[in-house]
Amino acid sequence: MAVRAQFENSNDIGAFSRLSNSYCLVAIGGSENFYSVFESELADVVPIIHTSIGGTRIIGRLTAGNRHGLLLPSSTTDQELQHIRNSLPDAVAVQRVEERLSALGNVIACNDYVALVHPDIDRETEEIIADTLKVEVFRQTIAGNVLVGSYCALSNQGGLVHPKTSVQDQDELSSLLQIPLVAGTVNRGSDMIGSGLVVNDWSAFAGLDTTSTELSVIESIFKLQDSRPTYVVNEIRDSLIDSMM
Amino acid sequence: MASHYNFKKVQVVPTASEFVDIVLSKINRKTPTVVHPNYQISRIRQFYMRKVKFGQDCFDEKLNQILADFPKLDEIHPFYADLMNVLYDRDHYKLALAQINTARHLIDAVAKDYARLLKFGDSLFRCKQLKKAALGRMATIMKRQKDSLAYLEQVRQHLSRLPSIDPNTRTLIICGYPNVGKSSFMNKLTRAEVEVQPYAFTTKSLFVGHMDYKYLRWQVIDTPGILDHPLEQRNTIEMQSITALAHLRACIMFFLDLSEQCGYSVAQQLALYHSIKPLFANKPTMLVVNKIDVRRPEDLGPEDKAKLDEILSTDDVSLVQLSCYTDEGVMDVRNAACDKLLASRVEMKLKGAKVSTVVNKLHLAQPVQRDDVERPAFIPEAALSRKKYDPTDPDRRKLAKDIEAENGGAGVFSVDLKAPYMLANDEWKYDTIPEIMDGKNLADFIDPEIEAKLDALEREEERLIAEGFYESDNEMPDEDEEEILTAAEKVREKKELIRMQNREKKSKNSSALPKKAVARMSRLEDFESHLAKIGNKGDVEALRSRSRARKRTHSEAAAGEGEMEVDAPARSKSRGPSVMRDRSVMGLRNVKQKVEAENLKKKAQKMPNLYAKRGEADREIQVKRPKHLYTGKRGMGKTDRR
Repeated sequence: MAVRAQFENSNDIGAFSRLSNSYCLVAIGGSENFYSVFESELADVVPIIHTSIGGTRIIGRLTAGNRHGLLLPSSTTDQELQHIRNSLPDAVAVQRVEERLSALGNVIACNDYVALVHPDIDRETEEIIADTLKVEVFRQTIAGNVLVGSYCALSNQGGLVHPKTSVQDQDELSSLLQIPLVAGTVNRGSDMIGSGLVVNDWSAFAGLDTTSTELSVIESIFKLQDSRPTYVVNEIRDSLIDSMM
Repeated sequence: MASHYNFKKVQVVPTASEFVDIVLSKINRKTPTVVHPNYQISRIRQFYMRKVKFGQDCFDEKLNQILADFPKLDEIHPFYADLMNVLYDRDHYKLALAQINTARHLIDAVAKDYARLLKFGDSLFRCKQLKKAALGRMATIMKRQKDSLAYLEQVRQHLSRLPSIDPNTRTLIICGYPNVGKSSFMNKLTRAEVEVQPYAFTTKSLFVGHMDYKYLRWQVIDTPGILDHPLEQRNTIEMQSITALAHLRACIMFFLDLSEQCGYSVAQQLALYHSIKPLFANKPTMLVVNKIDVRRPEDLGPEDKAKLDEILSTDDVSLVQLSCYTDEGVMDVRNAACDKLLASRVEMKLKGAKVSTVVNKLHLAQPVQRDDVERPAFIPEAALSRKKYDPTDPDRRKLAKDIEAENGGAGVFSVDLKAPYMLANDEWKYDTIPEIMDGKNLADFIDPEIEAKLDALEREEERLIAEGFYESDNEMPDEDEEEILTAAEKVREKKELIRMQNREKKSKNSSALPKKAVARMSRLEDFESHLAKIGNKGDVEALRSRSRARKRTHSEAAAGEGEMEVDAPARSKSRGPSVMRDRSVMGLRNVKQKVEAENLKKKAQKMPNLYAKRGEADREIQVKRPKHLYTGKRGMGKTDRR
């Protein structure tokens, strides 16, 4: 089920939350409205945790993680690290990473099996990613952008990538990730997929500006609500053409 | 995207008399009001001229606003141009705007004339009369535009109430005879709430409604009923329908009432279809049979049936049926119409050049199997079985925002971050843990097995040392490396020396000398020692001999010859020798005389220099304000020179 949400009048909810199949991190905001959107969808299934990273609220851009683990940047304080460790189940490995590219959410895009990372990331970090998140790591770009985490959203079911990704790149990435991919937008035409959309295997949250066409693409590629990826090229193809041209 | 055609922003057009009042009061408010007869005449002229010019500007501004605000029939979409022609009469509309434009030019001309006349005004009274006449004439010109302004105001009011129809979006147009159920269908599809009454021509203008289908926004236009007669005889109400049908690229839904409750026979309705058929060219068209709760197409008489079948067989139209009364088939008809329109629009767009820009968004990349690893989705059982959150459910889950609202709302309520902690003992949740204890960061010791791990690491380290892991294999550096190292050492030493010398020099308690002066003061020995240091010993003599051989001819150097010599420098012959004459030796016979002269000069300057007195070469202004330049009459208006 894809839901629209907003964090304090900002549609970039991916900057303020991190969602995986075994936990959900939410920034501490002025009110509980944003938290409650996640709570209404995920409560009793996975822990939903308020946290800050290095005192900031942009936790989605600073952290990266999946079902197996969570990577935190070096700016995370000891208290925050302890808070997250206390709140997450023991099965989730929490690891602080000394990496020059400290916005881990921007430089790592991953699901439970494969991770795409920024081409300039440290070799040691790459090993930590592989060990902590239990993934295969590939250095990649998306539509020429090195910030792979900002320009795509992945789950184990499918992935949405930057709208300018060429067909060849899509096919290549899809084979690496072993999931179907489609190029698209969120938040009424924004190409910042990572900041406008957070997904896991059974739910998705998109910015409040996301149009119904965009939401239908999201639902079908991530196989939410019995939707299938092939809907993008069959059922909603006409709507897409008419709305995009 | 919002429609570009929004005529609600046209500003109110005042009536002629209001117009004049607005401008005159504005002149009074925004220009100076006090003038006296004993002012200089140029000032009085300027005062009134300003009023006239300001009046012209005010009129200009307001009239330009009107001309800019009203849509130009040649520039807007043909649908709106035609609709405005039908509603307001194109000629009348254009004429009114043209008259406003003419009035503007006339006012400009009047202002120009009177500004010229005002230059010849010789008294306050005359200037005032001229101003009065100018403004009076402007007011008269405006008064003559009374009818145009009134008409334009009416047009404005009507325009602002027109439905905002986007001519380029996905549109369904509902048309047909009066009373066949067009508006009822519209109300079923959208929330436009068009009035429905059991008499003809209830709908007297176009109505627009919106609906969602297939994730897209659709525009539905309800048109007034059309009767079957020639175009010239159609009235304004019918013409609006014709305009919409003619200009909008839309799906046409031609409504038929086979029950004939509308008062028109089936034959008449089909005849209307044939007469307005040219308007449907190249558009997806549907024959919609309404009121099937009363009569279905199957029940039709053989004659009408034949006519209907003929239409269906010859034209590219489809027959659909519905009943707004029983809601039977309403959604099916809507979906069929939308699908038909969407298909035709997509077909059109795929022919265009823009298709290449979206082709990658219509591509679904499917993975090629690269290994035999299974990568299943991970969906917890709880996620599948959990009840969907319903905000209307009375015993729904209490969310954090509900708790927040109960506890004073945002900004007052502080969320408990420790509540969801998963610890071995729940009592530990709220334990206070110091950040730093005994000068140590507690977080560094948080791992219970830290000691064991450290121990293991240390033991491994010891083992590695014992095994000689850290001893490097190539302890003997080769010759080249050594050479480089010694050279580097020397360079470093030298650099340090230079740095120390510089520091020494700087710390001296005397003024810094410019480089040139330092060079002048340096002696040959310094040079030699420097060269020696660099390691260039042998060349010193050679350099020295060379410098002797090339002795420069200098006036002082010539002293031995006992005779003055004008310097003959080695420079290009393009310049005359006069340029380089040395003034210090001019008029002196020989060096002896020159030396004497210099001595005398030094002696004379000794005392003044001692007391830092002003010499004759110093700049001096004896009298700051010479009296002869500052006194006397200045009848001519000249104060500085006479």
